[in-house]
Order: sequence, then structure tokens, then C-alpha cells
Amino acid sequence: MTAHVQDVLTFVQQQAPFGQLADSATEYFVEHLEVIYVSAQNQAQWFKSDLPQLYLVRSGHFDLRSENAELITRLAEGDYFGYPSLLTGEPISNQLEVVQAGLVYVLPQVAFDFLRREYKPFEQYFVRAHAKRLLSNHYKESTTSWSERPVSGLMSRAAVTLDPQASIQDAAKVMKKNRVSSIMVTQDKQLVGVVTDRDLRNRVLAEGVDPARAIREIMTVKPKYIFENNRIFSALHLMLKHNIHHLPVLNEDRTPMGMITSTDLLRQQKSDPVQLIGRIYKARSYSEVKQLAKEIPDLLSEFANKIEDISLIGQLLSGLSDALTGRLIDLYQQQHGTAPTPFAWICFGSQAREEQTLHSDQDNGLLLPEGVTDEQRAYFAQLGSFVCQQLDECGIRTCPGNIMASNPACRGTLSEWCERFTTWIHEPTPQAMLNCKIYFDLRFITGSDLLFGQFLHHLNDIPKNQLFYAAMAADINVNTVPIGLFHQFKLQQDKHKHKYLDLKKRGVVIINDIVRLYALQAGISKANTLQRLKALKGRKLLSDEDIANLQDCWRFLTQLRLRTQIDREGLPENCINPGHLGSLERHQLKEAFQLVKQAQQACAFKFARGSL
Amino acid sequence: MNWLSRLRNWHAYRQLRLTEANLVVLDLELTGLDPKRDEIVSAAWVEIRQGRITLNSARHVVNKEVHQLGQSPVIHGVDEQALQQGDTLRAILQQLGSLLEQRVLVCHNALLDWGFIKRAFVQHDIETRPKLILDTMQIERDRLLRQGQTLTADCLTLSACRQRYGLPHASEHHALSDALSTAELLLAQNSQFGGAHGALVRQLT
Repeated sequence: MTAHVQDVLTFVQQQAPFGQLADSATEYFVEHLEVIYVSAQNQAQWFKSDLPQLYLVRSGHFDLRSENAELITRLAEGDYFGYPSLLTGEPISNQLEVVQAGLVYVLPQVAFDFLRREYKPFEQYFVRAHAKRLLSNHYKESTTSWSERPVSGLMSRAAVTLDPQASIQDAAKVMKKNRVSSIMVTQDKQLVGVVTDRDLRNRVLAEGVDPARAIREIMTVKPKYIFENNRIFSALHLMLKHNIHHLPVLNEDRTPMGMITSTDLLRQQKSDPVQLIGRIYKARSYSEVKQLAKEIPDLLSEFANKIEDISLIGQLLSGLSDALTGRLIDLYQQQHGTAPTPFAWICFGSQAREEQTLHSDQDNGLLLPEGVTDEQRAYFAQLGSFVCQQLDECGIRTCPGNIMASNPACRGTLSEWCERFTTWIHEPTPQAMLNCKIYFDLRFITGSDLLFGQFLHHLNDIPKNQLFYAAMAADINVNTVPIGLFHQFKLQQDKHKHKYLDLKKRGVVIINDIVRLYALQAGISKANTLQRLKALKGRKLLSDEDIANLQDCWRFLTQLRLRTQIDREGLPENCINPGHLGSLERHQLKEAFQLVKQAQQACAFKFARGSL
Repeated sequence: MNWLSRLRNWHAYRQLRLTEANLVVLDLELTGLDPKRDEIVSAAWVEIRQGRITLNSARHVVNKEVHQLGQSPVIHGVDEQALQQGDTLRAILQQLGSLLEQRVLVCHNALLDWGFIKRAFVQHDIETRPKLILDTMQIERDRLLRQGQTLTADCLTLSACRQRYGLPHASEHHALSDALSTAELLLAQNSQFGGAHGALVRQLT
């Protein structure tokens, strides 16, 4: 008869969903387990894509990554993985990366299926966990910002404590041995004081106190403390309020559990994308900027799993790019002297529309005041080349079309820029139309916003004739929506015979183009498509219903498109196979394309008088 | 089996990777440390097949013929009641014997456990010999010495060894827990030794 290992039983019992299940379920689970030791060297042998199994982490740390190596979540003790394949029967696509080797419990599919059949809560637990991961809001708990989580999650080590009678030297020794910067002084397991390394300096060394004396004499009596189930936010608040760097953590019985330090809190902040922007703005050197830029892809993929509206990702990335650019320009000025004249650094295209993705390239330029001298131009030439190159090293690729401040054509005075725009508007060749589509989406990043404001004003004043709008409308209608005569998808095919739909080129881009055209007509100087639509309300160019429809379509397509970037199916970028969508989504997608098609036709009618 | 085929077998086994071998990890509860005077209270074991510890192979059997429990119930938690539900030592040895015939034996401090088992086998006239014996304590001792560390009094206990590999805390002095703990330790040692495919059995003996 199989004997149960009590340790394993106890561990499993503590994990969800076993707490709510009969003991027999836990016993069955344990009996069918295998234990493996997963390390970076041997991990390849354990995870076969055709053999789905349930894995439960017993010790160690592992990063779960999607097919294209984006971080889904970090797994630690008590975390399950492998269940999506068990539930869906689809091959395993995620990969594991060993951060710290450890023990993993493995349950074969047969046993998993048995438990699913026999115990409803077991089934529910994993179905829910799977659904949550699919809905990309799996880590809801952590989305409510790190500061909302309990303090207990921060403590990495057990409490280091000493008697009040212990000598000062003992305290120093204990701190050295445990590599901590503070200890808790306890009597009858209750906290009575704290000694930090600062105390050893200020109250012992500086005062010439004999290290053989008891720590009771130099400790901070009745220190501030916090309970382990309080929020991190409260801990932060306490520490800031009293200007302390060490905070003892107690459990409900007031037994000391550990110490959190301001360093622990700083480390937490690191994993927040918004915080990253703040850190970029504070970076002190180019290399620090680049170091921070390296964190972007990881952070972003993790972030993508946490938020519900993934179109926020585009805004966030643009925000990060803005921060990188702004900081690099500041640092350049610190090193090479402040710019000789006011200037404005502007961006175009997707960065301006705040639709950036990880694969977007640079589109930027420099706006200079009238009467800039050659010498001053030389300064900006160097600034432009420098920033573009550094951005490239930060992971934002240089622009193949050379729309970059390193290109002399993209560093112009107000009138030089206006001249370029005027040429495109008055000679609407296909190339000019292409330029319009990129350059008319523009946004100010750093420098003199006064200068930029003047520029926008001038741009608006360039007379635009009917011919220009007609050409733009014609250009929009060249691009067709992938919906056929009988309301069927018209699929493209790549060389591997994969059929797909291009959501970006044949969906999002068309909406962007249409909205840009109306925005130009209305003289709206915003670049973001949703903001443009909002500004178009009440302008009588588009009905409120049309505006709402375009907003919805844009959101839907963008969301779908970003999702394809997160879980790629081996198709070209921004593409999906509609066959892999659920029936509801497929229906919505057709509806969306249909609406885009109508807007396209309306646009042609309005601006080209239907002469197409 | 004659000695020649045994030798051939032994040699073949040494060339095997640990993850390809079948192993049985054993821990005994004893009334003392002297095989001549002290007795086996219980035996627990768990098998490792192809690098996986299979928990349904876990067994824990109590020797109901044990004469002197001495002070050990305090440590092992084996009481009179558990004894009555136990097996005879012969039955235990027969189970273990047939298992060992085809497998590599693994113990933490094999000198002690194998000392007791071997003597018991001889007394009960059961002829068995494991393919090989691996000793996680010996593996660890060699490793530490190779690193030039000085060995302290308790640096080779099961829990001290596990701690060095970052393995979770386990309850001690229960035969089955210790057997699983030893098995886990061996897997960790194996992975540290042998890169992508694990160590050869030869490297561990």
C-alpha cells in the first residue's frame, strides 16, 4: 500500500483548491505525484509540448514566458502551471525559464482528468484560473498597484532578534552574520526596541560608548511598527512621516516577523511601468537611460497581462519613448551646453498618435526658430544625430524612411517646415500623400512649446484646397477593407499558406486616415485618433453616431491587434487568423470592418464628390 | 548470478546516467547505531524512475518483531499500536530484497543503513545485492572537500545538505519524510553535477 508523505500532504492541503476539497482528493493528488528537480541545465527534458501535465511549484523560482519570450508571470512556491493545455488539449506554447532551480510536483493528465470529473471545485478552480489568464487580467491583485498589497509579501527573511541584555558588540556581530542593517530587540518575544547600523555609528562610535554595554542603553525604545497584513502603502507612509528607514513587522500576536527597509520598498516600485517613466526622467547618465530602456519589454509584457484595456499599452510606450527622448536631450545639454536658441523636439506617426508598439521605429524632427545661424544649426545637427542614435540603442529602431532629427531635412525652421507641408498639400502626388499621413500626426515632446504652438498655428493657416482633400480621400479608398461581397472575410495568404487578416493595414490604418482627414478639415491639432474623434464632436462634419462607431471600431481593432502581438500565432505582425476567434468576436470583427467600409465610402463622397 | 556477470553489470550501471537508472531511496528507523546490538524499527523507501520521484512507490513498513523500542518512539513516533499493525522483519526484507535486485540503492549515510540491512539479509538468508549503492552524504562530503571547505560537525546532516541546495524545509526523523528528503537531495546534487543530462552514476559513487 502506498504510504503518504506527511510533508507533501501538508503542503498540498495548503494550496488552493485543496482547502475546500475532501481529504480523499488531496490524497489522490499526492499519490499520483511525481517530484522532479528543475534547473536551468536540465529543464529541457521535463516539458514536452505533446505531453500536457499539471505542475505545482514546491520550491525555486521560474519565469513563465509566452512563445515569443514575453514574460507572463513569475512562478514561485504554490503556483501551478501547465493547466491551459490540460484543459484545452492544445499543445503547450509557453516556455519556462529557470530563475532559481527547485522542486516541482508533476501530476499526469489521467489523474488531473479524474480529479476534474470527481471534484467540482477542482474543475472550477482550474477553469477559472485559465479564463483569468485568457482575459489577461489574471494578476488583478497586483494591478491594484504594489502599494495595496500586504506588507507580509515584502519580507524576505525571518526576524533577527536579540535580548536587551546582549552587548553592543554582539548586536554588531549578529548584524554582520545575518547581513542586515538592523535588529529587533525582544523580551518575552515582544518587541521592545530596534538597533540600526546608524545607531551603532551615532550613539556608540561617535559618543565613545563601550561596546561591551547592553544594547538596551542605545536602542530606540518603543519603535514604530506595522502589522504584516497592513498595506505596503501604510508602511511607506509611516516611514516617510517619521523619516525612518527600518520598520519592524509584527503578526497579530505582536510577535516580530521581520523588518522591512526603505530599500525593500524601492525595489517594489521598480516593477511599475509608470514608475519607470519617473526613473527615466531622473537618470543621471546615458548608460543609465539605456539600462532603464532594457526593462521596457519585460515590464510591458507583464503589464499587458494585468490591465483590461490593452490599448493603454500604446500610450504607455509612447510615454516611455517621450521620457527617453526628453531625458537624452537634457543630458546632452548638460554635457555640451544649453541649446543656443529655443527649439522644439517633435515626433510624428505612431509615437505622435500614441499607438506605439515594441516594434515601432523612430519618427522625429527638430523645429528651430527663424534666423537660426549656421553655427547654431551645427549644434542641433549634433544633438539630432546623438539622440537618434541613443534611441536606437535604447531599442527604438532608426526610421527606414529617414524621418529623424539626424536628417537635415527634418531639422528646419518654422518657415522651412511650413514650406515642406505646403508643397505636399499643393502637389498631392502619392509620395506627398504618404508624407502627409506621417507628418500630419505630430506631437510636441520637449523644448519650447511656444515655438511649437506657433508652428501649429502656421500649419493650420496653410490654405488647403478641395484638390488636396479629394486626393487624401482617394488615397484612403485605395486601401480596401477585407470584407467580401457576401459578408465574408477576404483572407490574405503568406508563403507558408497561412491565411490571415491584416488588422493594422486594413483596419486601424484606414480609421486613422479617415479621422486625420476630418481633423485637418476641422483644424484640430491633436494627433491621437481617439482624441481627434472626441474633438470632432459638435463640428457637424461627422454625426455623433458615426463618431461613436469609429471610436468603438478603433478600440476593438487595436485591442485585437495588440493581443496578436502578445500571443503570436506565427503569422506576420498585426495579423490574425479569424478562424481562431470565437464566433462572437468573429461577428464583431465583420461588423467593425463593415462600419469602416461605410465610413470610407462616406469620406469619398464628401471629399471627392463620389468621383472615384 | 555469478560474480563475473555481476561485475559486468556493475560496470554497465556505472556508465548509466542517473536519470536513466532506477533507484530506490531508503531510510531506516533504528533503535540505535550498532548493527550487532540494535534493531530496525521501520523501513521507508521511495523510488526514482528516470529522474522522477514517484510518490505512489512510497512505502513505510514497521517491524512488529522489534524487541526494544528504547527511547526511539520519542524521535520516530512509532508506538505500540503502530507496531501491532506492522509486518514481520522477514516480510519487510523480502519486499525490499526483490526491489533492490534491479535497482541502485540510495541512502543518506549508507554505511549505517546498508550495515543494518546487509546483516538482516544474511540473518534471514535472503540473497540480494543492489546494483550499486549511492550515498548522498558521501557525495556531499566529496563535493565540499573538493571545494576546499572544512567540514564541521553537523554540516553533513540531511537538513544541512538540503539547505545548501535551497531545498524547502522538511520534517525530520520520520523514515518516509527522510527518504523523500534524501531523494530530492540526490536530484539536486545530480543537477548540480551533470549539466544538461545529469551526472553519470559513476561520477556520484
